[in-house]
Amino acid sequence: MLKSKVLAAAGAAILSAAISTTALADITILAWPGGPAETALRKVVDKYNETSDSKAELLYFSRDNFFDKMLADSAAGSTEFDVMLTATYNVGKYAPFMVPVNDLITDDVMTVFPQSAIDSQAYEGNVYGIPTDLSLQFLYYRTDLIDELLSNDEWKAKYGEISEEYLGTKMEPKMPDAWSWDDFIASALFFTQSINPDSPVRYGTVLQMKNLLFNIMIWQGTTASYGGNWMDADGNITVDSDAYRKGLDIFKKITELEATPGDSNSYEYAEANGAFGTGQVAFFIQWSAAYAEFVNAEDYPAIADKFDITHQPAGSEGPKTHFHALGLGINKASEKQDEAKAFLSFLASEDVMSMYAKEGGQPPVVDTIIQAVASDRPDMLAMGDHTGKYGIVMNGSTAAEALGVYSNMAENFTAYWNGALDQDTAIANVEAYMKEAYGK
Amino acid sequence: MIVTRRNPVTRLVHALRWAAFIVIAFILNLPILATIMTSFKTTGDINTSPPVWIFTPTLSNYEEVLFAGNTNLPEYIFNSIAIAGGGTILAMLLTFPAAYAMVRYDIGKSWLLPLVTNVRALPLIIYAIPIYLMFQMVGLLDTRTGMALIACVINIPVALVLFVGFLQEIPEEMDAAAKIDGAGKWGILWHIILPLSRPILFAVLVLSFVYSWNEFLFGLILTTKNAVPVTVGATFFVTSYGVKWGATAAAMTLGIVPPMILGLFAYPYIGKSMLAGALKG
Amino acid sequence: MARSKAGVHETERANARTFLIGLCIFLALMLGFPTVANLWYSFSNVSIYDLTGTAFVGLANYAEAVTNPNLWDALGFSLKFAVICTVLEVALGLAMVFILHPILTKRPWLTGLLMLPMMVSPALMGVMYRLILNEFTGVVPAYLYMMGLPINLLGRNWIYETVIAIEVLQWTPFAFLIMLTARQSMAGELEEAAAVDGATGAKFGRLIVMPVIMPSIIIVSFIRFIDSFRVFDHIFVLTGGGPGNETTSISIYIYKLFFTHSKIGEAVAVSVMLLIASMALLYSALRLAVRRAPT
Repeated sequence: MLKSKVLAAAGAAILSAAISTTALADITILAWPGGPAETALRKVVDKYNETSDSKAELLYFSRDNFFDKMLADSAAGSTEFDVMLTATYNVGKYAPFMVPVNDLITDDVMTVFPQSAIDSQAYEGNVYGIPTDLSLQFLYYRTDLIDELLSNDEWKAKYGEISEEYLGTKMEPKMPDAWSWDDFIASALFFTQSINPDSPVRYGTVLQMKNLLFNIMIWQGTTASYGGNWMDADGNITVDSDAYRKGLDIFKKITELEATPGDSNSYEYAEANGAFGTGQVAFFIQWSAAYAEFVNAEDYPAIADKFDITHQPAGSEGPKTHFHALGLGINKASEKQDEAKAFLSFLASEDVMSMYAKEGGQPPVVDTIIQAVASDRPDMLAMGDHTGKYGIVMNGSTAAEALGVYSNMAENFTAYWNGALDQDTAIANVEAYMKEAYGK
Repeated sequence: MIVTRRNPVTRLVHALRWAAFIVIAFILNLPILATIMTSFKTTGDINTSPPVWIFTPTLSNYEEVLFAGNTNLPEYIFNSIAIAGGGTILAMLLTFPAAYAMVRYDIGKSWLLPLVTNVRALPLIIYAIPIYLMFQMVGLLDTRTGMALIACVINIPVALVLFVGFLQEIPEEMDAAAKIDGAGKWGILWHIILPLSRPILFAVLVLSFVYSWNEFLFGLILTTKNAVPVTVGATFFVTSYGVKWGATAAAMTLGIVPPMILGLFAYPYIGKSMLAGALKG
Repeated sequence: MARSKAGVHETERANARTFLIGLCIFLALMLGFPTVANLWYSFSNVSIYDLTGTAFVGLANYAEAVTNPNLWDALGFSLKFAVICTVLEVALGLAMVFILHPILTKRPWLTGLLMLPMMVSPALMGVMYRLILNEFTGVVPAYLYMMGLPINLLGRNWIYETVIAIEVLQWTPFAFLIMLTARQSMAGELEEAAAVDGATGAKFGRLIVMPVIMPSIIIVSFIRFIDSFRVFDHIFVLTGGGPGNETTSISIYIYKLFFTHSKIGEAVAVSVMLLIASMALLYSALRLAVRRAPT
């Protein structure tokens, strides 16, 4: 009995070994979970599986703890996935666990992606991923409220009063694409019911101030618009600067004047969307991904046809936005390097990227491809446009230490906004952390 | 116990007890009630402020978590049942005799008990990487067996402490009598102690099952697709495009069902066996 | 119920070791290697890129650990959190035992209803609390708003109370369950006898019930203290340890050192020190809990 089982098992093993030598092995792809990007990638993978001998399977973790799980797997040399996620802000951290894909970046591929998109996946001269999704922030605003503000004389007068009382100068309402950060603050105060009882919404804006690294990326546009940077060209840490103080002050002021919900210190992406999406907030700065959600009238009946997007408000250096790209690269520990490469080169073609964009992905592709899909994807036009004009990547923010720096900033800056630390201490803590991290 | 309830004061007290029960049950279960309600709301209804109480219930969230195909919730629930069940039973098998030895023979109580309890006091996250490496070596990564072993480690301290606490209340004369009848050590444990311990056995069963059911961190780190427990599986609806509140709530609601059934069915036995009055008295 | 060691024959004690073998082998297999690995980690230059930790660095990780001021904040948070939660849970659980015992004895299934909060994973419950306590979409703030209490439970002024309330709501049933089991273990005859003797009401509770429940109170306090001390899931999901570090428990602190800052050696060093400290505490606490004066 036992013997026959052993024999059967051995037979099966030999058989499967024989099969795997003739066919290409199947691969597993670890990708960023959720939304239209996931739907689009599933379609891309389906298409790949129709044509290829090696079948690809998608694997997703939850967004919470995603990188912790991936770190544990990578550090231990897991072979659970062959193709894995890359991101501009942690390509340095994961580079040692990945294989460079420089040879995949052919001239053909360079007709699909602009150089900047390829650079977003590079660390120390090597490219580690094929970029799949661009992420940046827009200013989302309620068109009905802004129209009213710009046309209603009573509102305009009140706007002038409020700006004079709280900001010291009498200001005129403007269209959001012409806003400076002062306009942003003044408008936030105007639309806050505790300051202006006639406001049709409860709060002017909603800030995301949970102790979470992604929230610092959203905030980063403020300081960048005043020329703030992590470090200068020589690698000196430059967070102890006017630009950083100005950026921090913007959030602090809005928090203190309660123009953002009182529990904003626990807010991240979902909560902020909830506040704006339920029609209780006039405008806010949010990731580009939210656009696809808000246009869905079934999910967001309160605002679906009453909002628009523009770039972030301007500082002394004009408007800026943080941006990064996610991509897919190859796990060094994978035993299926060739198959993984085959999938990535399939992915990097013009046809596949156009398809991916049409299905809801946000690939950072060249203008010609964007124009071709623009009728389906108006937000992609804005994304390409904004990245080119306003996009910034902080110096040093692709290094292995970047995630730690973002987390440290989140810890200290949220403490400042919520009154647990003073500004000098918060900045000093971050500076000390960065000096240690970068060995300065 | 048998008190006459005819007298108005007693009746009033009794009524107040019921009122207290209802209030306590409502407050304690409010988060769960809210979750269950959310699971029947559309995204549009969830994104309404202030929250609506009257809405047309939808099953779309349940359809999504059960049949959408991107995630496999039934399998996650099955995984959790296997993991929690296996881990609980193993922990009870290991700790019950040990607790008996500690109480009756006074061995290990001074060193093993604090040592074991310490396992619970530690933030287990520091074990994540070494256990990951160990499991990788022996092929237990992403398996239900591996996860059940982890569940067992997590359960051992509480099971042991509860067993020790209970067993020392059982009079030693009970064993002594059996010993005179010629019963061996394991015989006494099996025939005398075990039946007397039914209430604590059920209590430990329920608690350990619940503890393993709720474990999150190791489920996250040590599984990828084959042994994903429902706690981790339900967070798959927390995506980079926001939290799918309805789907998360539906997954949670389904995830409560198995431990709830166990609790509802097992709990009465704890009470009943006590009422038999076999113990003490 | 005298429990004299002399009464137990030495050879019998030796034989009784077989009862412990299973547990010891299991723990050695499961935790032996990880413990040794962790000890080595705490003295080596381990990193995510080098999980064997090739070089011995002496006490450097320990020095770094104790000089980080955030460690002491996290430790303070956890201690305070654990004490407050334990006291509240035991007090509320005990009150529930006294109030509800008579009606639960006849209808044990009702107890099941009170057990429900324990059956939800704190990690998931944390996710749902993000919705339930939200100012706009949450039912609890909506209630408070209607009652004229516009309180932001997740706002910076209330977040501490909120994370405690969540823990207490979830785990009071545990305290209740264990103490109720003890209460129900009192045989009916004892109560009748007491009633005949005229011990009723408060006197009955104090003189007859409390001594029976006391051991379980100690055990419950002990377990809840340990569990609340290493609280992680719901706080991590709700606040990320913030604002700033205000709700960073020791587990969150270690987790962040470990994963976010990749300081594995320091994270393990903190844990080893924690282990030593808790070992000492536990040793004395358990003597108290397990060896009460013989009745």
